[in-house]
Amino acid sequence: MTLKDFYDKIGSDYNSALLRMGNSEKMLDKFVRKFPNDKTAEQLFECISKEDYQLAFRMAHTLKGLCANLGLDRLQKAASDLTEALRNQVAPNTPQLCETVRAEYEKVISGLNELD
Amino acid sequence: MGKILIVDDSQMNREILADMLGGYEIIEAENGKEAVAIVREQTTEISLILLDMLMPEMDGLEVLEIMGKNKWLDGIPVIMISSEDSPELTHMAYELGVTEYIRRPFDALIVQKRCRNILALYAKQKKLTDLFADQFYEREKNSHMMIDILAHIVEFRNNECGLHVKNVQKYTEILLRGLMRITNKYKFTDAEIEIISNASALHDIGKISIPDEILNKPGKLTDEEFKIMKSHSAAGARMLSDLPFYNEEPIVKLSYDIARWHHERWDGRGYPDGLKGDDIPIAAQVVSLADVYDALTADRVYKKAFTHEKAVSMILGGECGTFNPMLLLCLDLVKDEMRSIKEKSISEKSEHDIKAYARELLKNDVLFSSDRVVKRLDHERLKNRFFDAVTGECSFEYHVSTRMMTISRNAAVSLGLPETIMDPFSDKTLSNMFGADVIKYIISQIRNSSPKSPVLYLYLHELVQNYDGELKELFVLSSDETIECPEGADTCSYRILCLTTWENDNYTGVIGKIVPMEFGYGILKGADHIDIKGLL
Repeated sequence: MTLKDFYDKIGSDYNSALLRMGNSEKMLDKFVRKFPNDKTAEQLFECISKEDYQLAFRMAHTLKGLCANLGLDRLQKAASDLTEALRNQVAPNTPQLCETVRAEYEKVISGLNELD
Repeated sequence: MGKILIVDDSQMNREILADMLGGYEIIEAENGKEAVAIVREQTTEISLILLDMLMPEMDGLEVLEIMGKNKWLDGIPVIMISSEDSPELTHMAYELGVTEYIRRPFDALIVQKRCRNILALYAKQKKLTDLFADQFYEREKNSHMMIDILAHIVEFRNNECGLHVKNVQKYTEILLRGLMRITNKYKFTDAEIEIISNASALHDIGKISIPDEILNKPGKLTDEEFKIMKSHSAAGARMLSDLPFYNEEPIVKLSYDIARWHHERWDGRGYPDGLKGDDIPIAAQVVSLADVYDALTADRVYKKAFTHEKAVSMILGGECGTFNPMLLLCLDLVKDEMRSIKEKSISEKSEHDIKAYARELLKNDVLFSSDRVVKRLDHERLKNRFFDAVTGECSFEYHVSTRMMTISRNAAVSLGLPETIMDPFSDKTLSNMFGADVIKYIISQIRNSSPKSPVLYLYLHELVQNYDGELKELFVLSSDETIECPEGADTCSYRILCLTTWENDNYTGVIGKIVPMEFGYGILKGADHIDIKGLL
């Protein structure tokens, strides 16, 4: 699977992601492949399960920023919704939002496994 | 081209930014605390900071606040990069002084362009600041030089050693500053003080018109001769008022006042106009006192020098004319300062001048980041490190504004501590190393200090005891020089000298030195073996 196929598969816009990396496919490829090594998402899930919502907020925020830069649009949207749910007090739908993030995250990871 | 500091808690973010900025030298920090420590250490080498907003330990806004307080933002532009959309936080970042705000997702081209533009802008601004500072100094130097030359011509005829003019200038400044401390009646800006003390150099310019044989007559002057001698004040004033140019300049007007009225007396029995009390311009009153003090404490053709004490008591006792009582009060207040000027060898550029320059510069934000100042500060830092390294002493400073303590490099090396410690009074490492009691004692001592008694003398005793083959260390801090040493223990004592610093009665921090009291075993003794060059 090519990088473009991967973006199509996870419902994200390959071209704008590429443009942001200065039109360098090499650079986009390098960082997208590094994404599974980044621990932000796992730490986020851990914080939620431990009910440490303050730290969870920062983790969701970081994840949102990172996905925005890599053009992982749907994961970014899910992380952004979760960030807002955690911002001031913990919104009641936090667990559902967290599950959405988890689902999108797993899609990204499994998609990455199929890359050439 | 300087370095770019990337501050972000996500390693991946730092890597992406660093990649986008290929070609620049990059340093990274993973939280605000680390960033502040790096900026403190490398203020002059960092040319741009990319700063994340939300971070552990210390967030981006706090970093900006500290940078603002330390005036680092004057020289280092900051671009904040965040996916934070809330307008409140964005506005706050701008208010705290960020140059740019880039919202995520950031685009490689935009990051590159903005960084390049800001770097170019700051480089240009820096060049202009340096140019301006150079010209400013050059002009200042030239005008000082011209006044000095002129004043020395007068003194040369007068067979005086040439220090009189310089001394009067310095006493004038000290007295003016002293006056402001004791009364609200007189207010002078730094610029006005500078002008008055410069103008004081011309107080005796009228002596050019006095014949040599009267001017340098060793014996007592006849009434007729004295009358001619006394004409020098009016003559000097006339020279200045007759100038075909510059008569509207403050320095010329003040020079006129000083030249004409520096022999008036508070009781109205002076010359040439018999002015009384407050009718005598304050600048002339101050120079008059400075002139009398310097004349008394110097050798003259007609007399030997009096001691400082004798001179002051003669003036205060009314033996040398009558002065504004407020001015006499002021003399009593600043007499020690005047004595130290008197005693100091007065070379071309005395330390006093340099301090005055530094003070002026620190007030002037524009000049703060100029190369000259930076070099001077670098030199100071180098000097301190060198002295600490060769004497085995350790120095430290703590600033309330940044809640940060820095310790000298040799101390950091031998104690295994970082050079920068945040919130030292609640720092776990320090408290584990020295014990909570030691830290508590220091805090209580600082609380007991005041602007009037800012110096703390403490003794740190290090006890090393052998417990079944295991060495245990204990630190005791006290105001006693010695400590009872338990049997079988080894002690090593250090003297800690601290100065608490104050600004308008507000406690601003502590500076201090730790000095080993004798040779022997001790944690700081390691300093002896450290390669001095490596520390610099």
